[in-house]
Amino acid sequence: MDGEGVASRYQVLEELGRGSFGVVYKGIDKATGETVAIKHIDLESSEDDIQEIQQEISVLSTCASSYVTQYKASFLRGHKLWIVMEYLGGGSCLDLLKSGVFNEVQIAIICRELLFGLEYLHSEGKIHRDIKAANVLLSETGKVKLADFGVAAQLTYMKSQRNTFVGTPFWMAPEVIQQAGYDFKADIWSLGISAIELAMGEPPHASLHPMKVLFHIPKNPPPRLEGKFSKEFKDFVTQCLVKDPDLRPTAKELLKHRFIRSAGKVEALQELIQRKRNADARADQLKHPVYYQETLHTISPKDEADEWVFDTVKSIVPRRGTVRSRKPSSVFPVEDAMRKLDLKDGPLQPNTPGTVRKATGRRQPSTASRRSSRQNSIRRHVSNGSPRPSLGPKRPLQPDMSFGNSGSTMRLFRRVPSDGFNSGLLGSSPPEFANENHAPPAYHSPVEPNSKEAMLGRRLYNKALEPCLDELHAQTAASSKRDALARLSDAFAYLDAVDPEGAYHLLRNLVSTISQDTKLNNTFLPQQHQPSTKSNNNDNSEPSSKPPNDGTTQGTVLIKGSRPSTATTLACTPPTSTSSSPTKLILSQENPHLMSHHRRRGSMLPQPVSLDGRGSPDKDRERDRDRAEKDREREKMAALEAKFPGRPAVPGMEHCKALSDLLYARWTDGLRARWAVLAGA
Amino acid sequence: MSFFFGRTRARTNTVDLAKQAREHVTKLEGPQGAAKADELAKVLAQMKQVLQGTHEAEPNPEQIYQLVTGIIEEDLLYLLAVHLHRLPFESRKDTQVIFSYVFRFRPPTGPQKPEPFALAHVVERRPQVLVELCRGYDHKESATPAGTVLREVLKNEAAAAVILYDDGEEQGSSYRGVGGINPDRPQSGRGVFWSFFDWIDKSSFEVSADAFTTFRELITKHKELVPRYLAANFDLFFDRYNSVLVQSNSYVTKRQSIKLLGEILLDRANYNIMTAYVDRGEHLKIVMNLLRDDRKMVQYEGFHVFKVFVANPHKSVPVQKILIMNRDKLLLFLSHFLEDRTEDEQFIDEREFLIKQIRNLPPAPVPPQR
Repeated sequence: MDGEGVASRYQVLEELGRGSFGVVYKGIDKATGETVAIKHIDLESSEDDIQEIQQEISVLSTCASSYVTQYKASFLRGHKLWIVMEYLGGGSCLDLLKSGVFNEVQIAIICRELLFGLEYLHSEGKIHRDIKAANVLLSETGKVKLADFGVAAQLTYMKSQRNTFVGTPFWMAPEVIQQAGYDFKADIWSLGISAIELAMGEPPHASLHPMKVLFHIPKNPPPRLEGKFSKEFKDFVTQCLVKDPDLRPTAKELLKHRFIRSAGKVEALQELIQRKRNADARADQLKHPVYYQETLHTISPKDEADEWVFDTVKSIVPRRGTVRSRKPSSVFPVEDAMRKLDLKDGPLQPNTPGTVRKATGRRQPSTASRRSSRQNSIRRHVSNGSPRPSLGPKRPLQPDMSFGNSGSTMRLFRRVPSDGFNSGLLGSSPPEFANENHAPPAYHSPVEPNSKEAMLGRRLYNKALEPCLDELHAQTAASSKRDALARLSDAFAYLDAVDPEGAYHLLRNLVSTISQDTKLNNTFLPQQHQPSTKSNNNDNSEPSSKPPNDGTTQGTVLIKGSRPSTATTLACTPPTSTSSSPTKLILSQENPHLMSHHRRRGSMLPQPVSLDGRGSPDKDRERDRDRAEKDREREKMAALEAKFPGRPAVPGMEHCKALSDLLYARWTDGLRARWAVLAGA
Repeated sequence: MSFFFGRTRARTNTVDLAKQAREHVTKLEGPQGAAKADELAKVLAQMKQVLQGTHEAEPNPEQIYQLVTGIIEEDLLYLLAVHLHRLPFESRKDTQVIFSYVFRFRPPTGPQKPEPFALAHVVERRPQVLVELCRGYDHKESATPAGTVLREVLKNEAAAAVILYDDGEEQGSSYRGVGGINPDRPQSGRGVFWSFFDWIDKSSFEVSADAFTTFRELITKHKELVPRYLAANFDLFFDRYNSVLVQSNSYVTKRQSIKLLGEILLDRANYNIMTAYVDRGEHLKIVMNLLRDDRKMVQYEGFHVFKVFVANPHKSVPVQKILIMNRDKLLLFLSHFLEDRTEDEQFIDEREFLIKQIRNLPPAPVPPQR
């Protein structure tokens, strides 16, 4: 089903954070004007059975409760799945904890609302299985809602039990860890732990390694709430944390608990939201909203020039001249990759709190994420042996090979369907393309840019043109459209290889032409100030700066916005990223239960990039050498990129597409002639 | 909220519930549809409570027996299946629960059949209930509840057979019950099973995904039924499969169906299906093109089908011809194929194996000897 139509219903705004398997954006439903949260899941970077994502959707879509985040829609765009949800402006309880622990009055309200939510879920035969502060969201008005049903279970029969080992270690009930069969009561335990978390700032045993906690919880007496708290609160926690699930009360029973009955109105929670905002303002945290930008994988032309030959009839597919993309491919010597690297590489900004985006990369902890290590959810389904992505073993950093091994060379193009069923379509490829693509010699060593324009042109290609084309390509389903885009992308890659300066002039002139037409100007070039402010901080071209409300150090977080390990990515990755990389522990490494899954899982993760240059001093040196120059260049690029279409706040697709169409037309017009001249036309 | 209804009231009405529900459900389309929907919702909630019990009260087997008998007598399962998409949100979920419990119910006394009581009735006398449940995929409202019930029911081989062999009123169709099935008669392709291809390919993401899950259950679960079915309908099935699912414009459908194809071919129970499949040059062409798809996961899933062709020790002449004609290209291609999967040892081994196999192909096709 074509998601394009449905997608255009939503205007995607800034990034809100990163959820269990995707980036979440704020958006607007154009039809109703309603603000929504939109989760983008890149299915291509997800090795999992897509069925597991469907499971989450099916659990959510059958919930209708004011205590559960409301599901609105989901649809596919290319290989990205969009899930549209109710928007909750107050943030998660974990976010709110960052500006201080909650008081008893607030905790009582939250617990009551959560109990209502659990009572609803349990009466529906659903178990949430990952109750924790991070998964409790607040609306602007203080309404409390359960979120993240990534590991929720739907029972067909009320008496059914589950054995799946799933959840986040610190919050897991003993019976879940022991895998002896559990039911709704597991959520009650997690609620008790969450109550402690809200009161103390972190769950019990927070200092322990999550693996150790797994042994600790079933073996030792249940944690208790210690300190200056009321008797009622302490008793409530004790009730939740009864080790025997049969003796543990239900949600319904706990609603009658004195601590809950005396709880006040949800509006009192607005205080928490306000406090967080004040704290943020005091900390003078300049928020740089990361706007939705359609970025993604590289599309690299494939190496092989030919289609398969079937039967005696030669495939009519135009022979592709092998156009090398700028991406270092595996056949390049490593040094070559390095050399090109620093040409494109922006200097690293040591203090940029950017998030790391890399292929199936795990989100690296930001500096504030002292707790991230232990909050990683275990998502392991014993039943089918298919671990959730968050369990993927983290790879050691491999500075050099990752370039050669990056996904780039593997993203082969489907040129033209030439199988038995569709062979009729073959003739449809425009003849001039055949010629054009014939022309380039088999392999061009990319021209080294030697003028400022050329470098900008190359940068333009790497940072803007290629990602945009890739995104567009990824989101396009129809194969004829994909093919057209692929061709355009090839054309650009070729231009970039041969004459990066040409690309610069093309875009420059295009932008200035656009700016002369009021209508085009308004459509394509709004908010010119936006990127330039960002440029101070974030190399101005990456969409992946720190999300404004950083509730993202949660364990269930990982990055699906798989970007291949190109130099482009590298340039923007913060050096903080490997600071002990606590996400590593995600249990999977050592967890004996998981060993059997390791191979398959591990193999699917693309090689990680060297994120900080650690272990590759050469690169650092080279980078330094270029830094001064890059700075100059960047200022100039900032001005240019500010104008570049598809930039922030433009409702992405349409405009990118319009631009592509425009460029595509030019390409077919004259192309291999002098680019500067052509662009000036 | 089932527990809002007093238990006593539910108890007295148990016998009448099915009758009431029937009256309401048949008037859903009438002028008072909205009012009837509300009343029906209450009745269904009560039924659910009888079947499921509450947190406080265990369900009463006798009451359940009465209710199930009433539901069968009133043909309520059929009516609910037909009208599922017209029901309100909560009632659709209640209906799903009712179906699940009714189909699972076994009377506490009396002779035990292999099938639960109501399910036996449906597969033998009222197969249209299952067909109508499948048609739930026509509407996004009914897709999830119908799909959930179906997947539960399809664990039963007779129920799966009813869906596979539905072919209108043709001879040998399941139309008159599971006993009337002639398993070796080729299908016309108009039965309800064949609609799954369109539901998967043409529906919205949610419906498509649910339909695919059911489809997968249907053709992987039963190791005697399905191979026989596929053998009798080999061309029809794989033509549709390849043209509709494998070539789907939906990324999810495409990727999942290639994966499922690999699973079908590698299932020991489908050995004869597999050998017939990999003899066809046309099939090899399709899968070789998948290897060149621009999405890595499509390539990867395609690889797991491709390997079956190459590993086959008795390659047909057409298959050998294609492989030999493309030998050099394949060798070059495979040497760089998905090379970032450096830790997927199984994949690397298999890729090496394929390279060796292709390299060692004879210079010209040799008729296979079996």
